Amino acid sequence: MESTTFTRNPMIAITLLRILVGWHFLYEGLTKLTSPSFSAAGYLKQAKGPLAGAFHSLAASPDMLANANLITMWGLAIVGAFLILGLFTRLASLAGIAFVLMFYLAAPPWIGLSYAIPSEGSYLIINKNLVEVGALLVIFFTGSGRFAGLDRIISGLIRRRPAVAVAA
Amino acid sequence: MNTVFEVHVAGADPRYAAEAAQAAFALVDRLEGELSRFRHNSDITRINHLTAGQEARVGEAALECLVIARHVYDLTAGAFDIAIGTGLPSLEIDADAFAVRATTDGVRIDLGGIGKGYAVDLVAELLEEWELEQAFVHGGFSSAVALEPPSGQDGWPLTLSDPRDHSRVFSRLSMRQTALSASGVRKGDHIVDPRTGAPVSGRLAAWVALPRPAGSGSAASEARPRLAPGAVADALTTAFMMLPLDDIEALCARSPGLEAWILADGASGVADLIHLTGAAPDRAAGDSV
Amino acid sequence: MADENTKGKPKTPVAGGPPKLDRRDLLMGLSTVPALGLFGYAWSRQQAHRAGVEAAAAAPAAAAGVQEINVALLGAGAQGQVLMEAMLRIPGLRFRAVCDIWSEYNQKRVVNTLKRFKHEPNAYEDYREMLDKEKQLDAVVIATPDFWHAEHTIACLKAGKHVYCEKEMSNTLEGARSMVMAQRETGKLLQIGHQRRSNPRYLHAYNKLLQEAKLLGRIVTVNGQWNRGVTQDLGAPDRYVIPADRLKQYGFKDMAQFRNWRWYKGKGGGPIVDLGSHQIDIYTWFLGANPSGVMATGGRLYYPPETHEWYDTVMVVFDYQTAAGPAQAYYQTQTTNGSNGYFETFMGDQGTLLISESEVNYPGQLYRDPNAPAWDEWINKGYISAPKEVVVKEKVEGAVADVRESAPPDQHSVPISLRDPYHQPHLQNFFDSVRGKAKLNCPAEVGYESAVSVLKVNEAIEAKSRLAFKPEDFRI
Repeated sequence: MESTTFTRNPMIAITLLRILVGWHFLYEGLTKLTSPSFSAAGYLKQAKGPLAGAFHSLAASPDMLANANLITMWGLAIVGAFLILGLFTRLASLAGIAFVLMFYLAAPPWIGLSYAIPSEGSYLIINKNLVEVGALLVIFFTGSGRFAGLDRIISGLIRRRPAVAVAA
Repeated sequence: MNTVFEVHVAGADPRYAAEAAQAAFALVDRLEGELSRFRHNSDITRINHLTAGQEARVGEAALECLVIARHVYDLTAGAFDIAIGTGLPSLEIDADAFAVRATTDGVRIDLGGIGKGYAVDLVAELLEEWELEQAFVHGGFSSAVALEPPSGQDGWPLTLSDPRDHSRVFSRLSMRQTALSASGVRKGDHIVDPRTGAPVSGRLAAWVALPRPAGSGSAASEARPRLAPGAVADALTTAFMMLPLDDIEALCARSPGLEAWILADGASGVADLIHLTGAAPDRAAGDSV
Repeated sequence: MADENTKGKPKTPVAGGPPKLDRRDLLMGLSTVPALGLFGYAWSRQQAHRAGVEAAAAAPAAAAGVQEINVALLGAGAQGQVLMEAMLRIPGLRFRAVCDIWSEYNQKRVVNTLKRFKHEPNAYEDYREMLDKEKQLDAVVIATPDFWHAEHTIACLKAGKHVYCEKEMSNTLEGARSMVMAQRETGKLLQIGHQRRSNPRYLHAYNKLLQEAKLLGRIVTVNGQWNRGVTQDLGAPDRYVIPADRLKQYGFKDMAQFRNWRWYKGKGGGPIVDLGSHQIDIYTWFLGANPSGVMATGGRLYYPPETHEWYDTVMVVFDYQTAAGPAQAYYQTQTTNGSNGYFETFMGDQGTLLISESEVNYPGQLYRDPNAPAWDEWINKGYISAPKEVVVKEKVEGAVADVRESAPPDQHSVPISLRDPYHQPHLQNFFDSVRGKAKLNCPAEVGYESAVSVLKVNEAIEAKSRLAFKPEDFRI
């Protein structure tokens, strides 16, 4: 895999971006975990777009729904925490992209689709979910966890194992 | 209230009965202070100064009278209206918080058509607390409550007479455990129909009798909402001065024990007194007014 | 994964050991951990805020922005019930306890009423038990007989409660003094129940008409009265009579004395104290001075002396040295005839003020002396109403004047009404002071001054001569 390195200031900016996205995920996850009544059912039931059918049947099946709820709650929280800490950043970014893409696809702001629960802002095809996907892509590809995050310590520790020497 | 209240007690020590009557009059004074629209700091005056959106906290007496007044207003489709057409339904009554909220300006209420009956109800309860059960109370002769009659009698002897000439007695009644109220047009007085604003015509007098709830005594007097037959009778007599006979009949039919006597304008004698009860109406003469 | 350090530090394989994590790695590695800490802090703050909002929403009777005060009523008789009715119309109060020795009747009735108003008061017969057991009590309102005021007030103050005590402060001067001392020691609030001191009409008359506009000029004489018609002794329902031993325990020789304590020596002070103390207090307030001497006469003219130990008819003359000069005040109370009810008249060289707590009988009339300057400025400011009758001078042809009976002076009135129960403003003032939002209108020291003047009257009647006051008499 290729990774890109930048000079210091862009990396700081990307780290900041990583913390912002992580904070958002963590809060989304935690509120769902601490709310007594969270269920994705409502959201899923009014899904539109290409995956609407799959989402509806997901909502209709109690077991699948329960799993989906768990995965959502914990997944969001863990991804968020890891992003803030810069731990397993690339994995976390991938998982984050997967979550947000699903949210996007459940209610895409495409031409001809309207929703009962209005969201704030005006969107045409591009909405904040997609923007967040973009942000996670940047985070994925720029190794900010290894710049300023626990990943840096971990890779330092890994490098301690006898490894192939890298020529300077 | 500009009224003379009288307490009659039978079969008790005179000094003890006088002390009880004294306590009863102190109670009536207290009620006057809370209910009279002529007192600057009564609950009713405070309500009468509310502007839209404002709220007034009131005591138990005012609240109970308002609740009863509203009930009779609904029952008689506005014929009995303590706000005399200024908009009783616009007053929100919060019975839990003992508060009254005005939703518009200009509502003016007057408990004159219900206050005496309410006072007489509370006096009756007080007399029972003092264990003076053989008693008869009235306020200005127009609101009365009979408790137990003197020993050896079936009831307290009362008369209904011609308001134009009280020596002409139309009916003799013997009442026990009943509230009795009278409305009438005295010389020069007018009763205004709140639905039209015009003075009422066609009726000379109306009387209403309502039984007191069974088992009155200190246990019942703690029960809320209080069943106040004197207050209800008071309110109904005012309404019956303007409701058509059919409506009055219908009301009597729905309320067991409710009795009404209506004296139409131009009545000449006993024969013209229409007596309505929950049973079939007992009409001595003619059709509805 | 290729692993690179942006600083491009060369990784020279060192024989004998792999490169260690250097300090910079550690620092940069942990650099974003504080962000998580910040998140945790923000989260906990939000949870706390949410909990606070819920708690506030769940509190049943707390009005918006009003801190609830826990109150106990000590004394649930006639006056206690009057105070209770006023307090039920004041938002932000929670009744925690009712204490009265008549547990069968008054105590039960008051507790039941309070329950209907959604309070849950505990009922007590012994005030010491109440002070012991009630943990959540901020203030006590005392309406027990006068001879109990000192003991009850002092105990409540010492238990850390603010106190509103009905007038008269005490039936003895020593009792009143001990209450002031206790208030000073404990630093708690003590308001004496001279409710006219908070009545907006009286406040308007004092602040605007006397102090600011000086409408009456120099007040030289004051007259006042409380006339009440013949009243029977109070009785009690047979089934609720209090057992004799309980009556004795609390200082009453029998039920009749319990119900009519005001007439007995050692318990109350009779009508001059019951009724007069209010108005004599107003004399002091409006004149701005305590009396320098008192003469009084009175007698048991009408009621049987065995049940009416105090005077049923009293006439008092106080003399004052006010800032504007000497003044004299007359006061009468009688309990055999109620003509003209109760009022106070302040008579100055430029005008007269006739005022009473009973607005319906006395709306607060003012009369301007013809020699006084016009009152137009004050009418325009809204301090007094425009005169009831405008006397128009009719010019008669060819004559300088029409000789006739003199026209009555113009009558103005105090343009303020009190819409609340009489005791509500004074209780409100007390509770606002408890909340730190106001100052007491009748704190203990002020109540004491009145008590000195009032309690001296019965002494003066006995002495049958003028009794003098020294300024030190009014101070503790």
